[in-house]
Amino acid sequence: MKRASRHYSAWSLLRARLSGAGFWRPLWTGHHLQQAYDVVVVGAGGHGLATAYHLAKDHGIKRVAVLEKRLVGYGNVGRNTTIVRSNYLLPENHYFYEDALRRYEGLGRELNYNIMYSPRGVVDIALSDDDFPVLARRGNALRLAGIDAELMDRAALEKFVPALAPRRRRRFPIVGALVQHRGGTVRHDAVAWGYARAATALGVDIIEDCEVMGLHTTGNSATAVQTSQGEVQAGAIVFATAGHTGLIGKMLGVPLPIETHLLQAMVTEPVKPLLDTVLVYVAPGHAESYISQSDRGGMVLGGHIDGFPSYTREGAWHRLEDVVQATVEVLPQLGQLRLLRHWAGTNDMTMDGSPIIDRVKYDNVFLNAGWCYGGFKAIPASGAACASLVAKGTPPDLIRAYRLSRFASGHLLDEPGYGPYPVKL
Amino acid sequence: MFRKTVPNVVSGSGTGATTGTDIADGASAYARVYLRVDSAERSVEEWQHVAGCRAWLLVDRNPSTGLVRSVALVGDAP
Repeated sequence: MKRASRHYSAWSLLRARLSGAGFWRPLWTGHHLQQAYDVVVVGAGGHGLATAYHLAKDHGIKRVAVLEKRLVGYGNVGRNTTIVRSNYLLPENHYFYEDALRRYEGLGRELNYNIMYSPRGVVDIALSDDDFPVLARRGNALRLAGIDAELMDRAALEKFVPALAPRRRRRFPIVGALVQHRGGTVRHDAVAWGYARAATALGVDIIEDCEVMGLHTTGNSATAVQTSQGEVQAGAIVFATAGHTGLIGKMLGVPLPIETHLLQAMVTEPVKPLLDTVLVYVAPGHAESYISQSDRGGMVLGGHIDGFPSYTREGAWHRLEDVVQATVEVLPQLGQLRLLRHWAGTNDMTMDGSPIIDRVKYDNVFLNAGWCYGGFKAIPASGAACASLVAKGTPPDLIRAYRLSRFASGHLLDEPGYGPYPVKL
Repeated sequence: MFRKTVPNVVSGSGTGATTGTDIADGASAYARVYLRVDSAERSVEEWQHVAGCRAWLLVDRNPSTGLVRSVALVGDAP
């Protein structure tokens, strides 16, 4: 029998203090794989868990299972650099990511789980006067959409980020920035665990060590998934497998506009509070680095993808060097620190840099994928919208542009501006 | 140091061969530009040696281990 996790509150803290051991219960308990479900979600990452949660909460769909090859949160939801923001240029993207950011603002309360949303600001640094029109254009697009954006000159930026203040000879001058104050960081593991706990409290089953290896189909519909723990019948199937979607496409016999690339991240040894915002330093044609400081004091760093297809999850040296070099360029005071941990994740890189939430091949099989390196900040909106698509059969307006057919019809969402390539050449 | 570039489209059979070189054929041009058949064991890619001779190379790699199976100059008969 499942015993639901306790509600967290000051009162339950007090009761726990007065009770003996065993008051707190596991976030989610072992689940038994049933023979049939209304919806099977493949992948217990952020998007899969959020989709399952919204299927149960918004649409009352009771029999939902999330099948996970490894463990909850083992994939990219636990590997990202925790940044959330909605400052995208294209309307199809900034309305969607803004929906996600607004949901993040209230998510801790909604899930009754501390996700540590920290609106510490995201700072896109300008490295020359020529950067200002580009940043201003994006800032204006955001303001027109009702999303916050502030363009700062050097004086204002140095006041906002004292760590940048010491004037020194830099490789590229820091002349200002575009800032989204409501952006910032969210504890990534907490998002995975919070959604897992909330979903299972609504009756969703989470089955770990359960790999989906194939599909059973009749005509234009899928009827069941074949898993490492046996066959499971399903009324509908959602593949939320960003990082492995290329292989899912292979399994379905559908070539997809996705290439799998690695994205690295790393953390330094902890130091006293130095940076209370998120810095985005992009030196075009040179290197880039995203820098923030975790609550434990380590500097969390990330940069561009490695640049060639890979499943190794190890990361290549040239990119590690780039990220460290860019980091030290913008914050030279970090030059003495040691890197403590370094890892990589596999990303679904789509041919226009924007995600895919759509039906694929069968009338009851859906894809929630193609998140490139922007998946974490999208989780709450993706879960709600994908659940709506699966429950009602038609996509809500917010994700209509993320259809798979856009590549064939020419309605590309070329947010990064690379052209039809998964990576900047 | 290599410069990374667009890998060969592996469409349909997944053997690593390009198909449909006729630009006028819209369906195959679309497939060539956008679609991939992903394989965790085999990826055939075009790389350019930008730090040296600037030659284009056809590389047959295992993207899960990094092992390079074969390298040939693009344009050499297979």
